[in-house]
Amino acid sequence: MAGGSISGEAGTRRLLLGNEAIARGAVEAGISAATAYPGTPSTEIVEALAEVAEEYGFYVEWSTNEKVALEVAIGVSMMGLRALTAMKHVGLNVASDPLMSLGYTGVVGGLVIVTADDPNAHSSQNEQDNRIYGMHAYIPVFEPSGVQEAKDMARELFDLSEKYSTAVLLRTTTRLSHSRGEVVFGEVSRPSREARFHRDPERWALLPPYNLRKHRETLERIERLRGDLSSWRFNWFAEGDGDTLVVSAGAAHMYVAEALETLGVKPPLLKVSSVYPFPRGLAEKALEFERIVVVEELEPVVEHQLRVAASEAGKTPKIFGKELFPRVGELNAQLVASGLARALGVKYEPPQGPPAGVELPPRPPTLCPGCGHRAAYYAVKLAAMRARSNPVWANDIGCYTLGFYPPFRMADFTWSMGSALGIGMGISRFSKEPVVAFIGDSTFFHAGVPGLINAVYNRYPIVVVVMDNEVTAMTGHQPHPGSGFGPLGEPRPRVSIEGLAKACGVEFVEVVPAYDVWRARDATERAIRYVREKGLPAVVVARQRCALVELREKRRRGEKVTVYRVVEEKCIGCGVCVDRFACPAIVREGRVVKILPELCAGCGVCATICPAKAIVPAGESA
Amino acid sequence: MRPRSIVIAGVGGQGLLTMGSLLGEALLRQGYKVSVGEVHGLSQRGGSVVVFVRYAEYQPSPVVAPGEGDLLVGLELIEAARRLPLLSRSGLAVVNDFLLPPPAAQRVPSREELVASIGKAVRSVFIEALPLAEKAGSPVAVNMVMLGALAACRSVDVSLESLKSVVSARFRGAVGAINLRALELGYEEALKKLGEEAQG
Ligand SMILES: Cc1ncc(C[n+]2csc(CCOP(=O)(O)OP(=O)(O)O)c2C)c(N)n1
Repeated sequence: MAGGSISGEAGTRRLLLGNEAIARGAVEAGISAATAYPGTPSTEIVEALAEVAEEYGFYVEWSTNEKVALEVAIGVSMMGLRALTAMKHVGLNVASDPLMSLGYTGVVGGLVIVTADDPNAHSSQNEQDNRIYGMHAYIPVFEPSGVQEAKDMARELFDLSEKYSTAVLLRTTTRLSHSRGEVVFGEVSRPSREARFHRDPERWALLPPYNLRKHRETLERIERLRGDLSSWRFNWFAEGDGDTLVVSAGAAHMYVAEALETLGVKPPLLKVSSVYPFPRGLAEKALEFERIVVVEELEPVVEHQLRVAASEAGKTPKIFGKELFPRVGELNAQLVASGLARALGVKYEPPQGPPAGVELPPRPPTLCPGCGHRAAYYAVKLAAMRARSNPVWANDIGCYTLGFYPPFRMADFTWSMGSALGIGMGISRFSKEPVVAFIGDSTFFHAGVPGLINAVYNRYPIVVVVMDNEVTAMTGHQPHPGSGFGPLGEPRPRVSIEGLAKACGVEFVEVVPAYDVWRARDATERAIRYVREKGLPAVVVARQRCALVELREKRRRGEKVTVYRVVEEKCIGCGVCVDRFACPAIVREGRVVKILPELCAGCGVCATICPAKAIVPAGESA
Repeated sequence: MRPRSIVIAGVGGQGLLTMGSLLGEALLRQGYKVSVGEVHGLSQRGGSVVVFVRYAEYQPSPVVAPGEGDLLVGLELIEAARRLPLLSRSGLAVVNDFLLPPPAAQRVPSREELVASIGKAVRSVFIEALPLAEKAGSPVAVNMVMLGALAACRSVDVSLESLKSVVSARFRGAVGAINLRALELGYEEALKKLGEEAQG
């Protein structure tokens, strides 16, 4: 699609992802900047914006982490311009420090913070509900209930943000972010405003006594919104039959609408997209009913606000919520139909599918053929054996987390970005065995550097292996400060990982090509011995560009991949390549093994480690 | 009309997302409201992947719940079997006759076991997509063969014509030609198999 998925005139109809729809809304609102650190399910928002940044004339960046991304967006807003920042739910934890202050200061230019939550934890360490952050930070939270609405709402929230001088949280979830629906494009507006620094130290410098005054004003603003949002167009009430009101909040409305069709009932329905603060007028409307069913995913955020409103009004309706709908995992139309059927007293039998009938092996994701992480794990494991150690394997978040699975089993814990170093240090202070911490390159820039400085300053005996594939691979190859290019592929300065490590004061720093397993093994063995003897941190950077990126570039240049093959007569069937190295391109075939040419990436590491020297480049004789 | 549900099951990297969005566009052209539920992130690295395509006269939700699917398109036997419970008991499974054992898996059922248990659970047809894709010009076009096969199934309302028009709008030149050919070959093969099944 020329110009990207969200480029087009008003009136264009396109099947867009929820995330692309949000991005289009931001374009229509005339943003000046978009910032993000990638994270599933939020990543495609800024990816889509990057594709059209030149066409519509705004600035896009991949920031070092979410805190920096939010801070940059705040700065843009202080220049009177509109900005969007997007992050996955746990990203908001990292950005929460500036977020809490932002609640007090408010904004000048419209500022929309997209939080992409992950009910069911499809690709996350938890399923935290970030609507609660809105309450905590006094920042209103809005939740669309479909792809078109996501576009329209994103656009309008910039106006609302400026009208009330407040940042807003636009909350989406995996199912909305990653589902496609039809979107009709609107006009792209270019607000004709000049960039100007809005100097106002009493407002922006949160010092006593100004901060207490701000706290008071913030509470007033939330109350004003609680009143005004009753008539906001994305909240609506529909008359219906019976005396039980159904309240559907945000994304849950997708399921409620379908469940009501399935059940063939039409109760009175209140659809709410301003989930915090829950509008006063709507609460009053709801409290006209004796029975209220609240449908929302994860935490009872709307339910609790309604209970408070009922209590303040001295009313005692029967309010159903989390006792009918699960608090863990995500909803679907069937779960919602089951809960609604109970509340509404109608019959519903969820359909049952056929069983699979055979026991199936699980299929966890795997490191790709040619992945440098696999070679690095293999080398580090050998190094630990040669150093006669049984290390604690501290691990972090990224593709390399797959080292958790057999045959490597080299992740004793993974926590949150950068924690391999932090938690690893706590363990290393008291552990007799060495701690080896794996951290990806993007993760190192995001949250690893303060940990490393701590390791130097407080003298921790920890081996840090930076699994450097030169991009943020897990989320789809976004560039980071060590990549050497920017979001549009344009050249950028490269921040050196080894240079940073040395500048932090680490004395043992070695860089090895990950494919060179013997060098990587020897360097790591030296690092383990150094850490043992000196009680100080050591850094090994295992470098190999992501195999997927490498293959893509080879294809673009028209270069052929030299695949490898097994010389059958030489293969002794020892299984090192299949069982211990576990490349998905290598399979057993009877007594010997075989390399699948369509999967082989041509890295040649299997040829290096084969004890019988039975693996050679295809086309060469042994 | 209740929403109709198509489940596409396979292994990350087999081109399932492309199938989902092409199907979605084709159904849009046919005048339906459409939701395509995708999976992004880590599971795309060779993991088990499922994509949902749903359509109706009103906007359906993007998730297929157990027992709801009208059609299961499987690009690999284990993954097709894994998603069988999403299919309604009267649903149809169209499955690529191809077994890809997960790396380092301990016990893997045989091709015959998988074919038999899928066949026992629901109405099903098995298609050897790889030779057809190669005949069309590229082994990568397996997903297009299966998409064509899907258009031959009367349990959903996807027409070959609308699929062809979205495929030719999306892919130009040689790739476009290969994909169109793959669609047709898959369609014809499925028609033949469905005919045999109806008789036998
Ligand atoms: C606070 C936070 N932000 C974002 C993410 C999403 N995320 C997980 S790992 C990762 C980065 C992976 O990049 P890298 O460290 O370079 O490892 P690679 O995947 O390339 O091996 C990201 C962005 C997250 N889990 N937590």
